Amino acid sequence: MKVEVKHWHAVAQWRWDTGVSSDDTNKGDDDEGDVCGICRVPYEGCCPACKVPGDDCPLIWGECSHVFHMHCLLKWIGTAASKQQCPMDRRPWVTAERKIGGSPISTGNVTGSNGPTTITADANPPRPPPPGS
Amino acid sequence: MDARLRRVNKEIADCKNDRTSNISLELIDNSPFHLRGSFPGPEDTPYQGGHFEVDIIIPDSYPFQPVKMKFITKVYHPNVSSASGAICLDILKDAWSPVLTLKSTLISLQSLLCSPEPNDPQDAEVAKHYTTSKGSFEETARYWTHIYAGGPGAKDPKGSKSIRDEVAIAGLENAHVDQFEGLGFPRNKVIDVLRRLNYRGANVAQISEDRVVEELLKS
Ligand SMILES: [Zn+2]
Ligand SMILES: [Zn+2]
Ligand SMILES: [Zn+2]
Repeated sequence: MKVEVKHWHAVAQWRWDTGVSSDDTNKGDDDEGDVCGICRVPYEGCCPACKVPGDDCPLIWGECSHVFHMHCLLKWIGTAASKQQCPMDRRPWVTAERKIGGSPISTGNVTGSNGPTTITADANPPRPPPPGS
Repeated sequence: MDARLRRVNKEIADCKNDRTSNISLELIDNSPFHLRGSFPGPEDTPYQGGHFEVDIIIPDSYPFQPVKMKFITKVYHPNVSSASGAICLDILKDAWSPVLTLKSTLISLQSLLCSPEPNDPQDAEVAKHYTTSKGSFEETARYWTHIYAGGPGAKDPKGSKSIRDEVAIAGLENAHVDQFEGLGFPRNKVIDVLRRLNYRGANVAQISEDRVVEELLKS
């Protein structure tokens, strides 16, 4: 059987919840609000090392509130030149804790090279953390 | 397409679309990793009215390593080598961050022209000139902007008078310029070489005539 695709419609759209509403990111005269500052590809696209956007190329949040593709940030943190600092504000990078469904799934401080420091990021498109808990 | 190429192409396009910053980026040869950036000299500085060009080399590991920039246009500034155009600026070295762009880095160079850092000089002689006599430094910087960066010159209709002024603005002595011009070298070249050698004041005694002639033959 031979199938020929004549046309198709996209029926769904998604974006990472970066904690900033799209109204806010579209404000201002630079349109750099919703791109990863390291590779300058939108958060919804994937980092240059990946082929497919989505769960396999997640975002990472710092306690300073800056957001990057996780792979881009880790590549930077892995260079000696980074001094393990956030590229935006040059403060020591500390991965922020993000909670999904009330349980912390992401924690860690990438500046630690000893011990069981882990870096994980949201495995699902994130939702805002519930208040309190 | 590799990540570096994609990012650089995007930066070049963004710069083209941005008409407010007055920063421009062009290819120098066929490589997208060798560019020429340019910007106008900042207002209310000795660089006002000049057009300053910068040679840009984008390293393999960009943006994880800083871009290499140096001035193509000769600039008289404590943090720029008056001979090579090399620039002393922290973000081009250990304060680089991958979120900096070619445009933001060029804007930083533009503001470096507004605020020299003589305590961290690239050109020690220029820094000395800046710290010992700011007025005279500014005259020289303005003169450089005029002859090298196409800036406005002294409004003097008399040609010969204007050449004499150039010698004074360069902080040199007419007698010294005349001396080497008398050996058969073009006056402009003599001025250029003597200024580069900092042939001024007490320094004159340190520089032999042979040394000056050697420089004149090289230039
Ligand atoms: Zn990225
Ligand atoms: Zn990735
Ligand atoms: Zn930050």
